[in-house]
Amino acid sequence: MLQFSRFVAIRATLAVFTLVVVSFIVFSLMEMVPGDCAERYLAFKSSQGAVITAADIQAERVRLGLDQPYVQRWGHWIVNAFQGEFGDSCILRLNIRQLIGPKFWLSLGLCLSALLLAYAIAIPVGILAATSKNATLNNSLRFVSYLGLALPNFLLALMIMLFSTLVFGNSLTGLFSKEFRDAAWSFDKFMDFLSHAWLPVFILGWSATAFAIQTVRALMSDEVGKLYVTAARARGVSGRRLLMRYPARHALSPIINSLGFDLNRIFNELPIVALILTLTEAGSLLIEALARSNDQQLAGAIIFLLTASIVGINFITDIILALTDPRIRRSIIG
Amino acid sequence: MKDMTDTSNPLTQAADTQKRKEAYFTASQGQLIWQRFKRNKSALAGAWVLIILILSGMFAPFLTPYEPTIGGRDKDYLNGAPQIPSFCDSNGCSLRPFIYTSTRTRSIQTNFRWVTETDTSLEGRRYLTFFTKGVSYTYFEFDINLPGKALDFHVPGFKFETHLFGVEPGMIHLFGTDSTGKDIFSRTLTAVNTSMAVGTIGVIIAFVLALAIGGISGYYGGWIDSVLQMFTDAIKTIPSIPLFMALAAFIPDVWSAEARFFFISMVLGLIGWTTLARRIRTHLLSERNQEYVLAAQLCGASPAHVIRRHLLPSFSSYIIVDLVISFPYMILSETALSFIGLGLKDPVNSLGVMLQNVTSADVLLNYQWYFIPVLFFIVLVLAFVFVGDGLRDAADPYSDSK
Repeated sequence: MLQFSRFVAIRATLAVFTLVVVSFIVFSLMEMVPGDCAERYLAFKSSQGAVITAADIQAERVRLGLDQPYVQRWGHWIVNAFQGEFGDSCILRLNIRQLIGPKFWLSLGLCLSALLLAYAIAIPVGILAATSKNATLNNSLRFVSYLGLALPNFLLALMIMLFSTLVFGNSLTGLFSKEFRDAAWSFDKFMDFLSHAWLPVFILGWSATAFAIQTVRALMSDEVGKLYVTAARARGVSGRRLLMRYPARHALSPIINSLGFDLNRIFNELPIVALILTLTEAGSLLIEALARSNDQQLAGAIIFLLTASIVGINFITDIILALTDPRIRRSIIG
Repeated sequence: MKDMTDTSNPLTQAADTQKRKEAYFTASQGQLIWQRFKRNKSALAGAWVLIILILSGMFAPFLTPYEPTIGGRDKDYLNGAPQIPSFCDSNGCSLRPFIYTSTRTRSIQTNFRWVTETDTSLEGRRYLTFFTKGVSYTYFEFDINLPGKALDFHVPGFKFETHLFGVEPGMIHLFGTDSTGKDIFSRTLTAVNTSMAVGTIGVIIAFVLALAIGGISGYYGGWIDSVLQMFTDAIKTIPSIPLFMALAAFIPDVWSAEARFFFISMVLGLIGWTTLARRIRTHLLSERNQEYVLAAQLCGASPAHVIRRHLLPSFSSYIIVDLVISFPYMILSETALSFIGLGLKDPVNSLGVMLQNVTSADVLLNYQWYFIPVLFFIVLVLAFVFVGDGLRDAADPYSDSK
């Protein structure tokens, strides 16, 4: 038990350390954006008719703490970031936490459901593909996997929009119906949300599913040919029981291990899919922050949050792996 | 006579197998990979498609009738449907393919909307011409601007005016036109070329970075390795497209299209090196303790010689495979970036640029030919994936034994 908590502590420290390195990269990028928050805010004011002097900009810089040295500001930023506080957005002048809080959780929920969907499909299908000798099934699955690579999610989203517009006359966009958009959460709103959310979840999970099927299939076909499976079969275990008891459990560890990277892949697609399906509630805020307004404060916060959730998932999967895989458990717990 | 053949046959057969074995055991790594690759039919087909696409991208100015930029616009055929050349219609057949004349009219009858009318009579036929003289284009034209006036050169290159096909009179649009009247066929082929160029620059930058960082990390090991791996891991954890977006947002609006193009390619390379660097490092770490390296060192070989003659050849095939596999990701990332308006911009053509406005309901309902380039890109990426997979299998020395 002591050794296990030591393992958890080491992993947690590593995760925090990774986040610190990431925050340094993100913060440096934010600093590299030409112009700082003070200039941007006052440029906005000046466009509203106010007269701005260089002294005003300097005063605003001091107010925002932008006159302090780089390392000090980074330290300040990261300490706040770990508490979920990212300051104010440069352009919108709103607290970032309030601005993206609910949207972030919604996006994360969408992405995690997509991940769940991907493996809910991939594990049975992949096991089937690895064990069946049916050439048609195998070839068509291979084709789907290749298509998952070649047709990135945002092109798939475009194609589905094209198709649904032509066939149903409705482009299936948005996350909520008009009447529920600003309503408080209720059962009706939740059902309405579900009736809209299946499409983004499917599209976000598309590539991940294709990849996951490939992974599960490869892992399973490696394991199925091994001697311990033959030995088990010789002892009279057969059918689904054999697969679930022996090779499937072996193949599970690498899959759990790769969950973090799958989430990374889904996050990659999120902003663009969100833009196409006009999910203003989710990832398109990032595009808004970057493309339209150059809002470095907001963009930095979003990238940091995305990375933090990946690091979090990696941490959780490490722990799960240590708990479920006897080989790793033994090496930790002794 | 009969005896002769009977006795000589097994002998020649034995000699044959002997020769084949000899060829197999003395073959170079490249020859072996090529032999295994040839046996993989889908990879071979992918390779052919890829070569055709790359060539048609490179010769796009010749293969396409018009300029892909605003200079090649057809102001009388905006948002025009694809014009498919045909040989026969109700008025009889002709050996030379033809298209019909379209005219756009707007009047009180059409509710003041532009309406395209197609003249399908015999008079409306316009015949295709081949090796048509058209807008001129140059290959290998560039300027060298070294410091000092005397060192500025202008290389005129080769100038051509011939295009594969055209139509007389007017213009032909195989894939239709977009809202400004630019020919989608010309744009598509040019976009293939752009994507290949972006991918190539990105892959080269990623390769150099990966070789340097992975090489240092793997060769020195120890704390240098730990620090570099920590850094690589951190970059790997950040979702790359949001990071691309953040980097691409730095581009000032005043930059020229060419400057944007190089910056975007650089950004793709600057982020895409992590996987390859990790592989090079792992490989170096495991190889540098092998006996053949020790033997070379004992013979007095310098580290540079060991790396160049022994370590690099041991995994150059893996590097090539990895580069091919990473190519489509570069292309797709560029497409995604340009699509949301953070990547390449108008005079430069790429798939992302061409798809920028397709989400509007108008396009979805009325102008579906905007989506034709998507097919090209799916084929391009699929071809890369097939070739990459085939190469990976071929480069694996153990795939033969199965």
